[in-house]
Amino acid sequence: MKRFFLYLLLTTLALIVLFPFIWMLITAFKPEPEALSLNLFPQHPTIQNFVKVIRNFSFGRYFLNSLIVATSAGILATLFATLAAYPMAKKDFPGKKFLFGAFLSSMMIPGLMYMIPQFAIVSKFGWINTYFAMVVPHLANVFGLFLMVQYMKTLPDSLIEAARIDGASEFRIFYSIIVPLSMPIIITIFLLTFQFHWNNFLWQLIVTNTERMYTVPVGLAMFRSAHEEMYALKMAASTISIIPIAVIFLFAQRYFIEGITSGAVKG
Amino acid sequence: MKRYLGDYAFIVPFLSIFLIFLAFPVFYAVYLSLHRVEDLYNVFGGLRFVGFGNYIMLFKDIRFWWSLLITFYYAVLSIPAGIFFSLILASLLNNRLKGVTIYRSAFFLPYILDVFVVGIVWTFLYSSPYGIVTRLLARIGLHTPGLLSNPKTALPAVVLAMTLKNSGFGMILFLSTMQNISPSLYEAAMIDGASAYTRFRHITIPMLKPVILFMVIIGFIGALSAFAEFYATTGGGPSVVVAGRSLGATEVSGLYLYRNFEALKLGYAASISFILLLITLVFSYISSGIMRERL
Repeated sequence: MKRFFLYLLLTTLALIVLFPFIWMLITAFKPEPEALSLNLFPQHPTIQNFVKVIRNFSFGRYFLNSLIVATSAGILATLFATLAAYPMAKKDFPGKKFLFGAFLSSMMIPGLMYMIPQFAIVSKFGWINTYFAMVVPHLANVFGLFLMVQYMKTLPDSLIEAARIDGASEFRIFYSIIVPLSMPIIITIFLLTFQFHWNNFLWQLIVTNTERMYTVPVGLAMFRSAHEEMYALKMAASTISIIPIAVIFLFAQRYFIEGITSGAVKG
Repeated sequence: MKRYLGDYAFIVPFLSIFLIFLAFPVFYAVYLSLHRVEDLYNVFGGLRFVGFGNYIMLFKDIRFWWSLLITFYYAVLSIPAGIFFSLILASLLNNRLKGVTIYRSAFFLPYILDVFVVGIVWTFLYSSPYGIVTRLLARIGLHTPGLLSNPKTALPAVVLAMTLKNSGFGMILFLSTMQNISPSLYEAAMIDGASAYTRFRHITIPMLKPVILFMVIIGFIGALSAFAEFYATTGGGPSVVVAGRSLGATEVSGLYLYRNFEALKLGYAASISFILLLITLVFSYISSGIMRERL
């Protein structure tokens, strides 16, 4: 009996938490006038909203931009963090403590503090409306570095010593021992960075001003202010914009959950 | 020194991005906050030094103080709501039930989805007269002009939306801590005849204290950086008249900072960001002190 109530409670709560997304999906398949009804099942289900959003409102292009930005930022940020984490976790060199302290203290700073100076730097570089502007300023992922260092510290030193005795170069040790052993955390950090960039709204809003360069959230913002009353279309566009993250989550959720847990618990 | 060159080489890519885009900006923000933009067509070329002019203006700016008040109000509502709801979810999941991972995924998924999109969907749910929330409320006799259009309900409505979206994060933290509490503690308490409530209150809660404190700090920094959740839903409105001035009922500091940035008052916006940083540092300092004392 207790079990039954637990399941009932959990199911109700899950429906409440997911309700906005369920309603978004249902509405996206309704023709515009029906979008204002409370029908749980569309009377005239249609995929026209999706077709329109992609064809007439160039969400295809925004999607491509988001994909380019999130993928390249994910790969580069993970690479930089992995490289930097190796000596941070496994070596001793002058200034290591200071660097680590400086990196960590930057995590206490609210993201908004960076917006204006970063915008100034990016404008001076002439990067406005380029992928550079969207990607490069976020390539030092301090949280990712921190997770990576924690993880690499647990790798056995004996493996590294053995390779060194065999005459392997530092770089060789890095890519043939450290990287393969750190794969789980590397995947986690790639996914977290990808997700961060896919969802990054404010920064991409301020560094792009031509439609050609909009990413999905920015395109959605512009679309929203131009078509206030077109709910079915807005819901179709919203659906398209969250699909990639939802799909990735479906297949790789343990990386997200473990990444967040280990970061917070050790932090 | 030479033998360390290899080590530094590994760090160079990360470090150079860090120095240019994370370290330098903190100092540059201070520099900008002491200047004012003169030429709107050459924003960073024509900066004029104004000393503490921006800060003095800020000090007299009612809209800024108001935005801080709204930010604190947002923090005061959203932090306990988030802790409470994620604690409930975690406690329910911390039972030996089949299929628990499916529920865990369901609760966690919204956390990683885009705030802006979630905001747009909730704006639709809250819209009037057709939004489903508005209509369901009307059915139980509560007729509203849309929760987001009423200055009294707008901010709590955003808090509700964000609590449902973000609780998966706290839930995961609570759950993993709960699963690390040794079962022998509970067994001993049970032998002593402690009720379920007593066990929760005197074993679970104390063990969860560090997580709660962590969530308070994260929540506070989050409130000071809050932007997209309000930009997507209320845009800072609806307006309220306070002491003869029209102010935005949900205009948090992050949004006010953005409005100044949009108007190219970069120096002024930078001075706001510096004040927000100071508040964060003071708060983190105090709460880490509390953490040390209590642990």
